[in-house]
Amino acid sequence: MSDEPRDATATAAADADAEVTGGLGDRWASFRDREISTVLLTVVGVAVFPFLFNNFLDGYTQLATLMLIYGIFAVGFDILLGYTGLLSFGHAVFFGGAAYAAGIFSASVSSSPLLVLLAGTVFAVLLAWIVGFLSLRRGGIYFAILTLTFGQMSFYLAASPLAFLTNGENGFTSVDIGSLLGVIDIHGGVPFPLSMLVDNMLYVFVAVMTVLSVAMANRILHSPYGTVFRAIRENERRAEFVGLDVWRYKLMAFIISAAFAGIAGSLFAIEGNYVPLQSLYWTESGRIVIMTVLGGVGSLFGPLFGAGLYLYIENIVSGFPTLGPFWHLILGIVFVVAVVLFPNGIWGGIDYVRNMVVGGDEE
Amino acid sequence: MWWRESGVTLLADILTILLNGLQQGAIYVLLAVGLSIILGTLKFVNFAHGALYLVGAYLGLFITGQVPLNNGQLAEWGIQSYGIGLGFIAALVIVPIAVFIIGLLMERFIAQAFYDRPDTDQILVTFGLAIIVQELLRALLGGSSQPFPQPSWASGPIALPVVGNFPRWRLGVIAITAVLVLGVYALVEYTDFGLIVQAGTLDGEMVRLLGIKLSRPYLVVFGIGAALAGVAGVVGGPLANVNPNIGTEQLVPAFLTVVIGGVGKIEGAVVAGLMLGTLQVLLIQTGYAAWSQVGIYALAAIILLVRPQGLLGSEVDVS
Repeated sequence: MSDEPRDATATAAADADAEVTGGLGDRWASFRDREISTVLLTVVGVAVFPFLFNNFLDGYTQLATLMLIYGIFAVGFDILLGYTGLLSFGHAVFFGGAAYAAGIFSASVSSSPLLVLLAGTVFAVLLAWIVGFLSLRRGGIYFAILTLTFGQMSFYLAASPLAFLTNGENGFTSVDIGSLLGVIDIHGGVPFPLSMLVDNMLYVFVAVMTVLSVAMANRILHSPYGTVFRAIRENERRAEFVGLDVWRYKLMAFIISAAFAGIAGSLFAIEGNYVPLQSLYWTESGRIVIMTVLGGVGSLFGPLFGAGLYLYIENIVSGFPTLGPFWHLILGIVFVVAVVLFPNGIWGGIDYVRNMVVGGDEE
Repeated sequence: MWWRESGVTLLADILTILLNGLQQGAIYVLLAVGLSIILGTLKFVNFAHGALYLVGAYLGLFITGQVPLNNGQLAEWGIQSYGIGLGFIAALVIVPIAVFIIGLLMERFIAQAFYDRPDTDQILVTFGLAIIVQELLRALLGGSSQPFPQPSWASGPIALPVVGNFPRWRLGVIAITAVLVLGVYALVEYTDFGLIVQAGTLDGEMVRLLGIKLSRPYLVVFGIGAALAGVAGVVGGPLANVNPNIGTEQLVPAFLTVVIGGVGKIEGAVVAGLMLGTLQVLLIQTGYAAWSQVGIYALAAIILLVRPQGLLGSEVDVS
């Protein structure tokens, strides 16, 4: 695993190197390792992204918004898969569940976007507490299959027995989103200085949430708490021998990743004003697995990149003349190749190349 | 509804539910037995098992008759239909052989490289494979549903004692499943080949030390598992329409059947499959159709939480 936030010793070593050699690569590495620079990079990234995307990549702002939403989902999923080493095949429950909770909350309680977001996220966290508590009793494939089971159960629950709440097969259509803090129209345009970069208030809202999410994930993964996650992934038994309550950490990793899924799901409901039933189906869980693995497990920005790439292929490449109809097939092939040859995904590959060029920080 | 018209006796109702449950469960059993022996002996998690079912169904369509093409790339390239029209029996014979070979190739070129990698990687790569197969079929043949005609000798109802009229093909499904599962069971329990496979499951290293090569039996086990999924596609095809999604739809119940029954246990898969099938039919026929899917997942969750090794699994199997 090459592209992980470096632990204390590695950072210190990198700092020491920087003092001695002062090479460009080392200086870059020491800049990169600071928390503020991660946040700054994210801010710059999401700020210029729609401009570049719309002008050079045939994109449009709505898709850019969706990319960030799935990016948040993938960043959270990576905390579970990449850092703790648990493969859940039921994360659509938290994404779709939060979307439904947010939608229903907006229709019947309050239409304030921030409260809707909060309601969806809280719902996802509570749900994750229950599902995680039950699924984490077993490791490996049992965990994958149990999460899959709960995922499918919630899909079929929403499909018919709970159709009076969820509107069944048609999806939840009565999402009602008011203005942000009572003044800003969330589906409207943006005022002047920002409008040079973005044309849509919703994007700004989602972008702010993305920055906050990345900052939060970065903080968690750099904390001693996050180090325990990695210890569990590397060797669960050893972590247990050291005296860590492995089960509790796994449950927390599960809940934290579900919270990110909850934020993303709520934003998804706000963005589309609609919650499709499909958002609970297990293929949705599969989508987030693909995004995360493709982008690069065990890295902070990899999943963001993976989510963007997936949606790009799904929405833009699918419109290409000859390649278009085969977009899903292409995605499947790229995914299998990534799993077989590049277990660290595209981001891992970029890291590898960069280390070759700059001489890098081999451990 | 038809089962009410044919004599409103409680016994008839119960028997109908059991028969329908048997038929519903039969497809789960066919898929689960293959999945289970692969998981039990090779310790390989095959998320592409649903894709083998899908291949079986489409291959069955291809061999049985002529299927018109309305959309998809082949239609755009000017091909109007596909199929060689050899009939259903031919499909029932050829499909397992073809999918057996696909299974062998899959074991050699994909599974083998992943035996030493974690479960997670096995799940990921086979999941990706499943997507490739599904999307290749969708891109070439179009996403629309195709009716899979029932064989003429087994269509229409048959009059059974007590139960009354019952679709002939459903009995056919039950019979074919029973024969195949018994065959595999006999192969594993009563032959030298089965003995080696069983020994390898318990302690592969020891078997190798005794000078018995395990890679060949393992290859065959993978092939047999795949072939069963292929047959399931042919047998299950006529029960509903065939479209590229049926593989992913069947995969989840099949996996549940495996883990409920106990990994590697053929009799466990049979018991679990019939249980899930019967529960599903019971809920549908007693007026709780909305809960039928939720019911099987809830039952599965409860069993897995109370008895994680599955109904017939032994404690040792749980990693």
